[in-house]
Amino acid sequence: MSKVKHKISFVLNYEKTEHYVKPNTTLLNMLREDFDLTGAKEGCGAGECGACTTLFNNKAVNACLVLAIEVDKAEIITIEGLSKGRELDELQESFIDNAALQCGYCTPGMIMSAKALLNRNSKPTENEIKEAISGNLCRCTGYKKIVEAISSVATRNDKKESMNAQKGGDTE
Amino acid sequence: MKYVGESFKRVDGVKKATGTLKYVDDLKPTRFLHASVKRSPHAHARILNINVNEAKKLKGVKAVITGREFSGAKCCKRVGLYLEDKTFLAVEKVIYVGEAVAAVAAETKEIADEAVKLIEVEYEILPKVINARKALDKDAPLVHPNLANYKYAPIFFPEPNTNISNHFKLRKGDVEKGFEEADLIVENEFFVPHIQHAPIENHSAIAQIDADGALTVWASCQSPYAVRQALSVAFDIPLNKLRVISPAIGGGFGSKAGTTLEGIIIPLAMRTNGRAVKLTYSREDEFVSSFVRQALFAKMKTGVRKDGKILAMKNEFIWDGGAFTEYGVNIVKAGGYASTGPYEVGNVWTDSICAYTNHPVGGPYRGFGMSEIQFGIEQNLDIIADKLGIDKIEIRRTNALKAGSYTSMGEKLDMCGLIDCLDVVVNEMDFNKKEKSSSPNKARGKGLACVFKAPSMPTNVASSAIIKLNEDGTAHLLVTAQDMGQGSDTVLTQIAAEVLSIHPDKITIKTGDTDHTPYEWQTVASRTTYCAGNSVKSACEDVKKQLLELAQIKIGMYKRDLELRDGYVVSKIYPDKKLPISELALGLTLEDGSGIHGPIIGRGVFIPPNIRNVDKETGLGEKPVVFWTFGSQGVEIEVDIETGQIRVLEVVSCFDVGKVVNPQLIEGQVEGGIVQGIGSALFEELIIEGGEVKNKSFVDYKIPTADDMPKMTIRFVENPEETGPFGARAIAEVCMVAAAPAIANALYDAVGIRINTMPLTAERVLKAIKEKNK
Amino acid sequence: MKEFEYYKPSTLNEASEILSKYKEEACIFNGGTDLIVRMRDEMTKPKVVVNIKEIEKLHEISYEKEKWISIGACVTLNELSKCKMISEKYKILTDAIHNIGSIQLRNLATMIGNICNASPLADSATPLLVLDAKAVIFGADGVRKVLVKEFIAGVRRTDLKIGEIVVAIEVPIYEKSIVGSFHKISRRKMVDLSTVCGTVAKVNGEIRIALGAVSPTPVRALRTEEYLKGKILEAEIIKGAEEKVVEDISPITDIRASKEYRIDMAKLIVKRGLMHLRDSELKWGEQSEA
Repeated sequence: MSKVKHKISFVLNYEKTEHYVKPNTTLLNMLREDFDLTGAKEGCGAGECGACTTLFNNKAVNACLVLAIEVDKAEIITIEGLSKGRELDELQESFIDNAALQCGYCTPGMIMSAKALLNRNSKPTENEIKEAISGNLCRCTGYKKIVEAISSVATRNDKKESMNAQKGGDTE
Repeated sequence: MKYVGESFKRVDGVKKATGTLKYVDDLKPTRFLHASVKRSPHAHARILNINVNEAKKLKGVKAVITGREFSGAKCCKRVGLYLEDKTFLAVEKVIYVGEAVAAVAAETKEIADEAVKLIEVEYEILPKVINARKALDKDAPLVHPNLANYKYAPIFFPEPNTNISNHFKLRKGDVEKGFEEADLIVENEFFVPHIQHAPIENHSAIAQIDADGALTVWASCQSPYAVRQALSVAFDIPLNKLRVISPAIGGGFGSKAGTTLEGIIIPLAMRTNGRAVKLTYSREDEFVSSFVRQALFAKMKTGVRKDGKILAMKNEFIWDGGAFTEYGVNIVKAGGYASTGPYEVGNVWTDSICAYTNHPVGGPYRGFGMSEIQFGIEQNLDIIADKLGIDKIEIRRTNALKAGSYTSMGEKLDMCGLIDCLDVVVNEMDFNKKEKSSSPNKARGKGLACVFKAPSMPTNVASSAIIKLNEDGTAHLLVTAQDMGQGSDTVLTQIAAEVLSIHPDKITIKTGDTDHTPYEWQTVASRTTYCAGNSVKSACEDVKKQLLELAQIKIGMYKRDLELRDGYVVSKIYPDKKLPISELALGLTLEDGSGIHGPIIGRGVFIPPNIRNVDKETGLGEKPVVFWTFGSQGVEIEVDIETGQIRVLEVVSCFDVGKVVNPQLIEGQVEGGIVQGIGSALFEELIIEGGEVKNKSFVDYKIPTADDMPKMTIRFVENPEETGPFGARAIAEVCMVAAAPAIANALYDAVGIRINTMPLTAERVLKAIKEKNK
Repeated sequence: MKEFEYYKPSTLNEASEILSKYKEEACIFNGGTDLIVRMRDEMTKPKVVVNIKEIEKLHEISYEKEKWISIGACVTLNELSKCKMISEKYKILTDAIHNIGSIQLRNLATMIGNICNASPLADSATPLLVLDAKAVIFGADGVRKVLVKEFIAGVRRTDLKIGEIVVAIEVPIYEKSIVGSFHKISRRKMVDLSTVCGTVAKVNGEIRIALGAVSPTPVRALRTEEYLKGKILEAEIIKGAEEKVVEDISPITDIRASKEYRIDMAKLIVKRGLMHLRDSELKWGEQSEA
């Protein structure tokens, strides 16, 4: 146990990964510098803006407030992990369709917060959406289209669920 | 029209939504070095000595520079967009807290930061100027004692041996006579503090010098060509050896319009033997050492007739320009020439004065000049209406600029949609209906503001575009108008698609590289759809002309009877006679096998037509600006009368934009402007004590969250701008201007108090409520 | 951020030994949301960082019937606010916790961290003060318990001694369910520090009031509580309590608010808190009559 690099093993965007980190490296720096996953942005480095929001064991966290060494044995998903090649996550599609992004700098963090929200609550209300993204600052959009983009995915979830329920009913 | 007027998806949407778009800080040139900056802890001090020996000795440090090394050398000339008063590093003295004094390039950020701590600077403290009004006193210390020697554009008026870097005068009619004829004279003072743009992306730049001496700068900047020009002057590098690339911008709002940190890393890159040097600002740097919005002290005297008609206005605007006003002088001019607001006033006297202070550098901020003055103008109008017992909407109708009226600067308007917009807002929000508050300790109120803005730019600013037709009928569009979120890449693509009659998906837009994309003055002033749009339209018309020339040979019909339709040149008379444009992309091959013309490349250039300088003494002119965008916003708020907290419940907005090119994008831009305006109205303020910014982080400088967003209704009026592409005018800035005065007016409506100082914090509101209840 | 040595002990003894060995040079790392920012700004420059999150039992929420509920040091704020037992018994605590930072922050930060930072404006402190919660402290000499009120000793100063670790906070279980409310006045509604915060609740039949950001530490408004003893919450009494609370606090002016505004807000919290108590009791009364 010294200042030297420590070995960590974790799952990064669904891939098993081993890596050596210094204890004073943040998760954000490791992602950006060592893995070139630059989707998570540093807007303040102090957990105030949310631009670095990343999923840590399926929970949204500020990657600037996590030490890289802490993700040993954990699962990390970044914005880059949401899309598979040209196949985008429904939230990403919805942000594009709803023009819920402008300069794009807050967008990855915003989408990750939304992802975490929908993972724990597939049908959030408008107020729940606003609360879920209140730790993500956006200076361009005024938030309206962001809320709409998240809300439209939630509505789709709702429809899917009720359709599935109906289908289930039919087969019985 | 097929493509203009439709909500096409953003062309940059996928890259942004997937996080794969590379911003400057995401770039990592091979073996690049990290820079860190030693900054001044003093507002005003002479630099006696800088000791960099220890810093240089630190392992991993590759270069150390100080501003002093450049003293007298040709390397550190003063630069500036309008007034050349700025150096990138302090040379003989520091003039604001946070000014760069020295910089280091090192193998890691940690080493660079450590080295900066080892730099020792000895200062002799000088008396500081921390109040813009006192800066004008005869015996005030001078921030720039050599002002007399600075170069400046002839439309500005610095006064040597004072702290005044620009004194704009507007003199129209006879203001004293106007006051004599007035039935009521109202005098008020307003204060608008410094605020900061707070783009989510902090400033970032990389500089690298090749073996042949060519300098490449990657910068998060709105205006690559303006940056190239400033850097060329500062470092004496010819323009053909200086390349500025702006790969992406994470929000600008004006903060990235000029040059800031680029000039710090270039001298470092000159000493690193070809290795690139990167500097990215922290949020703290962003608040203090980039640009801030200038503060304004405004005195307004207004004389009105009983029926509400304004007869005379006398204004004194004193702007806290900060340490450098290379850009700020134009803010002061813009605020000065719009000083009546969107109203017709026969007699006007305005002094708009830019004062140097030992405060952070004032620079362009979305809606500059307008947001600051209209906070006062629109409150004043409500105050007058109240005193005369006239309806607030009526007094605006009485005074509003209309077709045929003359603006404050004496320009006759051929067309003006202000009243149309006002009507929409009043109806849409049922303005005169009083709503019940949600609880007994809360009060509701409605307020409204009318605003206007012209692109604040010189008379002769140029734009250009190149469009290259590809062999398959697709095209590349090259411009240097930068998309910093506002959506210009998409809108310009739509304009090109419309003229070429090909789907926007077939056009790829490339921007932001002075070696490869053609000249654009700046991406500022809400001018891109209009100026760059016109150059794109012209470039595409050039392509069209070439295509028709060739097609007439091939089809055998005269070109006047041909048109472009969905990727083909088509006969207007016999629609089955057509030729795919792809066949003409490289020129036309004749029957004998010989070819003519060659590849189709369109060239478009644009300068706003016929804008002329104003009279130096009076500020008057026939055509001082290219056009005005008019509009109105109404708000409804709820005030907690026990805490003073304001919640904005609803905003209804309407602007006359001439032509909506992309409904979804323009709506988003206005929504963003409204919420940014709400931030400035309710929380945002740089708290500066003794020259030092006390709240330089998001912990204590609050910008709105999703929770602060009101219900928003966005409407437009479309009276076409004759010279605009497809009639389009401008929107980007003016949509932010109305929020603060409208909220202030709603506050009066709700609880009967007036607050003349922005922002309307809970504490200020509660204090005013208590005073009223005494 | 300076370099440091990193330890991740799996037992309390081990953790305590490392802390004892490195003394002032060591820092406990729990949620990390405050420490990382302080290390980034080099306001704290530990040589050794001891991550206690590997210690399993620090993640537990446990209870002993009719005595106390114990909240482990490493339980995050979001885990805590999801805990039904807590929100049913101590809604004031859940409400306070819900107002700390953003969701991202609450996924990392812990209540024990909030208390150990000993900030005058710690949102979770005021409900813990009115509940007479105790910090459970593990050290070389065993376990000791200290009232949170006493544990927070001053601005960023606690009663924690070298080698000691706060392992849990114990909240007593009260016979009657607790009626009360948490109030936070901040510049921005979401994700902001408290300009003033406070809890007003009826605990064990007595009205208790605690306020944050009005003194060097979060404080109980004891004079006001004394004044309210045995009184019925009529308008005049509430007005009296508002005036009385001024004697309990010593706010300062800073960039977030002036002293005067803080006094006004402290009074308002007392007023709103007492009115809430009065209204809830009325409701309770109606229910029991029915």
